[in-house]
Amino acid sequence: MIGGVAVAVGLWEVASVTNLVSSTALASVNATAAAIVEHAGALSSAAGQTLEAWAVGLFIATVAGVLVGTLVGRSRIADAFTETLVRMMRPLPSLALIPIAILIAGLGLKMTAGLVAFTSFWPIFINTRYGVDQVENLLLETATTLGLRRTALVRKVVLPAAAPLIASGFQVAVSLALSVTVAVELVGGTGGIGSYVLAAQQANVVANMYAGIVVGGILGWVLNTGFAALFRRLLPWANRREGSA
Amino acid sequence: MIAGSRRAARLQRIGFWALGWVGLGVAMLVWQVIAVVDHSPLIPTFTSTAIALWHLLTSSFVTGNLVPSMIRLVIGFVVSAVIGIVIGLFTGYYRAVREWTTAVFDFARSLPTPLLIPVALVLFGLGGTMVVVIIASAAIWPVLINTSNATAALEPTLVDTARCLGLRGPALLAKVILPAVSPKIFAGLRVAISVSLAVLVVAEILGGSSGIGYFISSAQQSFQITNSYAGVLVLCLLGWIADSVFLFVERRLLVWQRGIVGGGHG
Repeated sequence: MIGGVAVAVGLWEVASVTNLVSSTALASVNATAAAIVEHAGALSSAAGQTLEAWAVGLFIATVAGVLVGTLVGRSRIADAFTETLVRMMRPLPSLALIPIAILIAGLGLKMTAGLVAFTSFWPIFINTRYGVDQVENLLLETATTLGLRRTALVRKVVLPAAAPLIASGFQVAVSLALSVTVAVELVGGTGGIGSYVLAAQQANVVANMYAGIVVGGILGWVLNTGFAALFRRLLPWANRREGSA
Repeated sequence: MIAGSRRAARLQRIGFWALGWVGLGVAMLVWQVIAVVDHSPLIPTFTSTAIALWHLLTSSFVTGNLVPSMIRLVIGFVVSAVIGIVIGLFTGYYRAVREWTTAVFDFARSLPTPLLIPVALVLFGLGGTMVVVIIASAAIWPVLINTSNATAALEPTLVDTARCLGLRGPALLAKVILPAVSPKIFAGLRVAISVSLAVLVVAEILGGSSGIGYFISSAQQSFQITNSYAGVLVLCLLGWIADSVFLFVERRLLVWQRGIVGGGHG
């Protein structure tokens, strides 16, 4: 594992030292590392800004997605009613809304978080709706026989049974939300890692550009593996059922 | 008796299908009402957007922006599918390779792709090549990871039996491994389509000189807001068509596994 990382870093260094990729487009490993250390303050505040918009948007999307997904998934009529809409929103053209969102909400946290929420809502909603719909009848009938009704049924049986699928939708949303946040920052120049990288590129400081990219990658990696580990702990029954929607 | 219940089931399915379109209609109506009530130039009505959409689809927009975007989408998607499947089979089949590459691949796929656009701009300049590279670098991951996981999770009995029966190399790959992992590959490809579409737009907004993304952002900058909205609708339709075509092809190709897995849902 460490070996693989070493080989990749080695290849990177070779590509930059031998000028295989022009030095205007690729900084050496050393220069990138030095830039990260030198600009640690600016990078961490940029990462903080990115994380803030990411977290606010994702939180709204999760609450709304699970809530609406559960309501829709419990009813076959509502399920059919939303089917075509979902089919059109599933391929996520939401990033195309960036120019329009800038116009409506202006640049800033509200706009970024709003767009992140809108985009991340769909995978969470779709997976919740599907997961709630797919709960085994045996499970539902047993619970009903045992006297569970409505809210208690949903809270104690339906949601736990759908949790693995909801979790995988959430994990899609985690990385999607980060991509959207960064994309908005790139297009709108609203601060954060995206703006940092773009500014470095426009100023032709290649090392800073790579410093930003590496920090963005680390951010994504920590969030992805962190949530994956969290869900493994929280949902030990998830492995029984493999696959995701 | 059986025929009757089958007909009822079919009627019900058609009913649900129709209900889906009613749902879409209601969503459009809500949009219309909001636009009329709000009466802001930033939110055009659905009807005016639909008219703008019609004008776009009968103008030079099609050859100037829509077709270039579709070509980039197809090339980017095919490149990422081929590379993703090949590398995925390789890393999935050989445990040692998998162990060496996991950490690097994990990092690479966690990296938010839009961050790579500035680099691609420096390397390839404005235009189509840059967009294709960005699409491929984003869409490859769902394909690669799914292929690799599915190959790694293959039943050893399956591969061993095939080996005992004399299958080797390409024949083993084509007749046993690929069919066994194809459902997972398709799941990855479907995700790759949405990812391609999403990054296509961002790449075109930032560095395209044509394309739907370019069109949406330049319409916004010249305050032709209705055209921006119409551009977004074009993308919705494109995504929906791509997804439908994909599901159709998948159903055709994977016809053998219906009834074996997935609980019989179409």
